Amino acid sequence: MRSPRNNERKTAYEDVDVSNYSRHLNGHNAPIWWGIIGLILIELSVVSAFTVTYLYLYMQHGQWPPADIPAPPLLIPTWSMLLMLFSCVTMYLAGKSIEKNQSWHFVIYTFASVIMASSVLWIRWLQFDNFDMRWDEHVYGSLLWTISGFHFIHIVSAAIGTAAIGCFGMAGFYTKQRQIGVVVDTMYWNFVAFAWLPFYLVLYFFPRL
Amino acid sequence: MKNHSQTEQAMFDDQEGSEPILDKTWLSPPGFFGWFTHVNQRQIGFRFVVTSLIFFALGGLLALLMRLQLVQPENTLMGADFYHQIMTMHGTTMMFFFAVPAMEGLGIYLVPLMLGTRDMSFPRLNAFGYYVYLIAGITLYIALFLGMAPDTGWFSYVPLAGIDYSPGQGVSFWTTMITFIEISALTAAVELIVTILKQRAPGMTLDRMPIFVWSILVMSFMIVFAMPTVMVGSVLLALDRTFETQFFVAAGGGDPLLWQHLFWFFGHPEVYIIVVPALGIVSTVISTFCQREVFGYTAVVLSMVTIGFVSFGLWVHHMFTTGLPHLGLSFFTAASAMIAIPSGVQIFCWIATLWGAKIKFNTPMLFIMGFFAVFVIGGLTGVMAASIPFDMQAHDSYFVVAHLHYVLIGGAVLPFFAGLYYWYPKMTGSMLSERLGRWSFWLIFIGLNLTFFPMHQLGLDGMPRRVYTYLHNMGWGEINFFVTCAAFLMAFGFLLTFINALISPYQSRSAGNNPWHADTLEWWAESPPRNFNFRHLPVINSRTPLWQKAPLQKVTGIRADRREIIITTLLDAKPQGVCIMPTPTYWPFILALTVGFGFLGFMFKPILFVVGFFLSFFAIVGWLWPARPWLHEQPPEDGHPVRGLQ
Repeated sequence: MRSPRNNERKTAYEDVDVSNYSRHLNGHNAPIWWGIIGLILIELSVVSAFTVTYLYLYMQHGQWPPADIPAPPLLIPTWSMLLMLFSCVTMYLAGKSIEKNQSWHFVIYTFASVIMASSVLWIRWLQFDNFDMRWDEHVYGSLLWTISGFHFIHIVSAAIGTAAIGCFGMAGFYTKQRQIGVVVDTMYWNFVAFAWLPFYLVLYFFPRL
Repeated sequence: MKNHSQTEQAMFDDQEGSEPILDKTWLSPPGFFGWFTHVNQRQIGFRFVVTSLIFFALGGLLALLMRLQLVQPENTLMGADFYHQIMTMHGTTMMFFFAVPAMEGLGIYLVPLMLGTRDMSFPRLNAFGYYVYLIAGITLYIALFLGMAPDTGWFSYVPLAGIDYSPGQGVSFWTTMITFIEISALTAAVELIVTILKQRAPGMTLDRMPIFVWSILVMSFMIVFAMPTVMVGSVLLALDRTFETQFFVAAGGGDPLLWQHLFWFFGHPEVYIIVVPALGIVSTVISTFCQREVFGYTAVVLSMVTIGFVSFGLWVHHMFTTGLPHLGLSFFTAASAMIAIPSGVQIFCWIATLWGAKIKFNTPMLFIMGFFAVFVIGGLTGVMAASIPFDMQAHDSYFVVAHLHYVLIGGAVLPFFAGLYYWYPKMTGSMLSERLGRWSFWLIFIGLNLTFFPMHQLGLDGMPRRVYTYLHNMGWGEINFFVTCAAFLMAFGFLLTFINALISPYQSRSAGNNPWHADTLEWWAESPPRNFNFRHLPVINSRTPLWQKAPLQKVTGIRADRREIIITTLLDAKPQGVCIMPTPTYWPFILALTVGFGFLGFMFKPILFVVGFFLSFFAIVGWLWPARPWLHEQPPEDGHPVRGLQ
């Protein structure tokens, strides 16, 4: 007899034997892949909260930045952004070399990325020195310092995390079968690099409007 | 006969004699020091529930203290300072340290059982979230005992909460601990989402998922999108207080209203973060005590999802009196009224489920009936307060206090206690006393109505919220006296449930696996469940697996000698792989300590934040340090991920 309930008409599963299923989960099948997506969603909410805060305060003021303060220079921040985006390419190549089980290529590409991120950090550090306004003078300065600092901390954590991954790579831990650590680290790295885009737009272009 | 030749030592949970091994594999180490290593979802969920109940009791005691102060005009039991501290702590405790962790705790305990799996996706992260919660709560209460508790209300409005008007560490404790505890909420949310999406038993497609699990999924997504906003807000406030940034300081170009936007963009969804899982409990309990599926499964699920979405468009109705443009306000009035539609759909589905059913009125069902009455009254005053002209009059008065307690006690506390009576047998193996349960319910139900209904009148008479005393000639004395007496009645009702929960394990009322004859998988496990939750992992063919006649099919080929769980596809729950879960460890506790050090250190010396940051980094590396003898493993060939090589 047919069951009246829709949900009982679907394929009935028999006993399922999973003894031969892979224990090496390296992509969408790995919980940690979804966990990092969750982390990125949370961080995206934070990024949008900061961006909206900036726009909200921007709209409260006729004069932005406040009188006598020039808009921040564009050239160096643009270079640092491009450098950070370029490091995504080396991270991608690092992942590719693990696919091919080339662990030394992996180490080189990882540390190349870490060095690029460190240069970005160095450039940002110099920028902090040259901001035209302190954080406690006006909310414009508060935003500039806080948003830049927020992203600075993220690059620091992505860089030292990836450096640790590079060290594990030197010890030969990662293989084609065991690469989920690299996959999720790269996802987070890409997020950190791209999260700068909205900040770059509000921090460096809105003062010019 | 399966071929196990490739692995000499491997033991699978479908083999003879695998049970002791499976039990040992999933064991949480005993002993005091073992306690800090536990990662199993049931231990962590149980701790969340128990700890949140302790905070509920503490928050309740603070409420009683407030009522004692208000029992008569110009009472001198306590000064304004102390009153403001306990008022703030009452709100903060109930919202951040009771309601959210309680619901998450139920989710952490029940969701893996309902999904037919042995643990959650990130067991160590789970433990970390608990320690963060515990540290944050203890710190705030230590601050209270030191007389340094925050005193600016649970929403810490600026400029009052700014450094100029609230010097000292009180509000700093608030901003730091709120940022800190949100970490706990967020880790639990991500964990619940991933577990629900990837660890359902084979065959449990999304539309066969228990409604409670749906409600936890909606709650978790809401946490992911709402909590970061309050974190940003509290971080900015902390910066304002510590480094004199100017975000909320009008003189420095900042805007105090920005705080209200950031806070309520979280604060309103927060109400539904608490209420949505409660709605899931309501559906579950109704279904069990009517012994039929909830009418309109799809409609109920879609209603919860809709509530989740619409709740993000309501926050400005907390700000009607701040002088925002009127056109914008009308939108929020409309949105506030719109939330009544999905709520109504659910209520009608429940009525249709109850209609003509043989309802068993055990204690859980009584609490659900109480929920109907109380929540509907709270909803009605909500519709009143959603209209701007009325809100202008009632704002900041006891009318709002009455409204919010009807909504939160009706919408969250009563269903939570229903859930407690309902799932207590599963968690402990013994039934709660029905007799004490009924007494408790009626005392709570009568007590809360006598406490909060007169507050509507107090509000209409003009009594403002958050005042530590009032004058004789205002004429509010009698009602306040009555309310205080009723509050003790309600508190006594809650006390009975606590007593009930404490003594019931010592009275031999063994629960059995499925005392309520419920349909969801958690009742398939023993009560309380063994270390491994289920002896075999189930395969699901219907929405009500325990009501079908045929026995459940089983998953075979899961190793018993290490922690393995099965990963399934997101929509159809087809088996996809097997994940090896981590074992008990101290690292989550250590990480919680280092992160807590960073946060607390920031309050006193900002440089300590950097120290905490790097200590946390080392804790994370220690946590993730590969423990298996991986160097000696041979990587398997492509396409042969076979037994023994994992």
